[in-house]
Amino acid sequence: MNKCKLTVSHAPFWHDGDSLFQMNLNILIATLPAVIFGIIQFGAPAVGVLALSLSSAMIWELILNVISKNKITIGDLDSAVIGLLFGMMLPATSPWWLVITGTFVAVVIGKMIFGGIGANPFNPALVGMAILMLSWKTFFDFDAAYVNYEFGFTALAPLAALKAHGAAAVAGLFPVSDLMMGRQVGAIGSTFGLGLIIGGIYLILRGYIRWEITVSFIAGIIVTSLCFNLAKPDTYAGPILHLFSGYTLLGAFFLATENSSSPVNRIPMIIYGFFAAAMIILMRDIGAYADGTILAILLSNLVNPLMDKIRPKALGKGVNNA
Amino acid sequence: MIRRSFFTLTKPKLNYDLAGQDHKEPKSIPIPASLILLLNEPIDSTKKSLIKKGDPVEKGKKLHLYKESCEYTISPIKGTISSIDTYLDDFGNSSTYLVIKNDQNQATETNVITYDLNDDIVSADKYLRTLPGAPPLKILASDDVKIKTIVITCGDTDLLSTTRQYVTLNFLDEIKEGAQVLKKITKVPKLCIAIPENLNIQGEFDSIQVFKTATEYPSNLPAMVLKDHLNMVLPAGKMPEDLGVAFISAEAVVSLAKAYKTKSANFEKILTIIGKQGTQYRVKATIGTSLQTIFNTFSIHVNEQDRIIIGGPMKGFATYTPYHPVQPDMDTVMIQDRDIIPELSDTPCINCGKCIRICPVNVPVNVLVRYLEADQYEEAADRYDLESCIECGLCAYVCTAKIPLFQYIRLGKHELLKLRAVH
Repeated sequence: MNKCKLTVSHAPFWHDGDSLFQMNLNILIATLPAVIFGIIQFGAPAVGVLALSLSSAMIWELILNVISKNKITIGDLDSAVIGLLFGMMLPATSPWWLVITGTFVAVVIGKMIFGGIGANPFNPALVGMAILMLSWKTFFDFDAAYVNYEFGFTALAPLAALKAHGAAAVAGLFPVSDLMMGRQVGAIGSTFGLGLIIGGIYLILRGYIRWEITVSFIAGIIVTSLCFNLAKPDTYAGPILHLFSGYTLLGAFFLATENSSSPVNRIPMIIYGFFAAAMIILMRDIGAYADGTILAILLSNLVNPLMDKIRPKALGKGVNNA
Repeated sequence: MIRRSFFTLTKPKLNYDLAGQDHKEPKSIPIPASLILLLNEPIDSTKKSLIKKGDPVEKGKKLHLYKESCEYTISPIKGTISSIDTYLDDFGNSSTYLVIKNDQNQATETNVITYDLNDDIVSADKYLRTLPGAPPLKILASDDVKIKTIVITCGDTDLLSTTRQYVTLNFLDEIKEGAQVLKKITKVPKLCIAIPENLNIQGEFDSIQVFKTATEYPSNLPAMVLKDHLNMVLPAGKMPEDLGVAFISAEAVVSLAKAYKTKSANFEKILTIIGKQGTQYRVKATIGTSLQTIFNTFSIHVNEQDRIIIGGPMKGFATYTPYHPVQPDMDTVMIQDRDIIPELSDTPCINCGKCIRICPVNVPVNVLVRYLEADQYEEAADRYDLESCIECGLCAYVCTAKIPLFQYIRLGKHELLKLRAVH
């Protein structure tokens, strides 16, 4: 007999060739329209924030890998995605320490201490954002952040204006075309609605995010805001303003769809998306926050394991006809 | 290897390969100098063995290890036993392998032993278990289960394989004959035949119910045939025979027909060999021929770290030696170059849900794997449907994190049986 050593492993012997790296790379690609637009809109400070956010997120993971003597896992780009999404939610004028603190919370507390990729119960980028927003509220006042900028459009953060003055006062200030094309004040990556939609549809078509969550999320925004709007049109804005301002679209395509903190069965996905969206509108319309996206999605992350219990019966379960 | 398509809005569809209308004779492999037979019984050194090294055997002779053994094998040649040793499979189950040296001059036909075959299942079970295609005679003859339905499967159970379809296309008359033999010896009330819907079959089947199975994997697996065509739900953790249904391959039916005609066994197994570039070869080889002999015939080179897969890319198993013998139930042998072997990883589940969408029986694979990784087998079976799995391998095929999901599930089922045996 020869001494030729064969590879012995188990079925299946094929794989569809997908990988974490591919998945995360595609998410990074999908953010590009919104990111590039944000950079054009807000200039060099935006590049600084995004670059620092992405790199510091990866470095935090690397440091944790080294400290915990685990395999280096930054190659799967998961932290890069967290870092970039986190950066996209910040105003372009954020100071460097805010970014680094935020990515520390996001990567270390939001993801690594739970066991790394796949183990986080909450979307890490949102955990980072939530802590920052509660701790340094003033940095997230978009009107104050862009005080030195000259824009060729209404230089008011739509949701803050809405919160302060009511729907009747802001009517006509924010035409749909302006909101869609990014002619609004907001975070680096959240203003260009069209870009976010293009990126999101790309991800849906590639199968990297689950369309059920996005569709029910958008449906939830429209239905809930329409209900409020019909009840009191002077106080509560209609669906269009809610859909294209604040973090809504970023949430629908990139934040609510984060794999490990969202459900996988069809009915739970629909409930999850709708619930998150309804909570956003509740917070915006009757809550204390101008934009509730972050806390609302975190809240639905919290109920995700419970929702995911609703699942189809497996073949032969509970059948005893043998 | 079928890769993910660029747009994957829906779950991927894998289709069974379709055998063309080839009437070309399969390449016949001459009987090599020695054959290897596997006997599904471990060696027990405390008992006196009936066979030992140096024993002469006749072609068609039944070989038992011990007096009270119920497992046997049949020697396909006249020769001498040159070695007996233990064989371990991938779950550590031990069986015995016999090497039989070929004494006969290949030019002269030796007589084959004829059997005393009656029209009952017991006599068939006594001699014909190792026919090409491995008819499930042991199940049919068993007193524990009462088989009421027999399904003849003409579709291959794994991707790439076309052996059963080839047999169906070319030996239709023998299948009909064999079906009548089956009916006569088993006296089952219901005989069915499952034919892939795109296979071009002419003619009628007498008193046999015909099912047209879909082209999409895994519709040819027993549990799916039960569900789609017999309206039966396979209970979790049960086998089709527990429901009174037995599955028999088309080739086994053909072999039965031949055996009853000649009152002797035949040993020529038809195989699909898939080379490194995906080229398919149809082969007819004697049971016990080593795979290396077949590879040599087609000048397929097995290099270090290549993978030899027996049974197909989704459900097969990899062997550790190119000298693995041809077995009665071996339909496909595939060889994979070391450069294209997909890697696995120890990354935890990221909950992307691809396995959930592709699972044909709704097993919550994403949660299940967390329990299996933590060795919580009973919990996995009770709450997360471990035993509902029909072992199609699709979850591990699509897994983004490259977790060996199918292996975890098989190991889980194996460990669960061990746990239950202890209690």
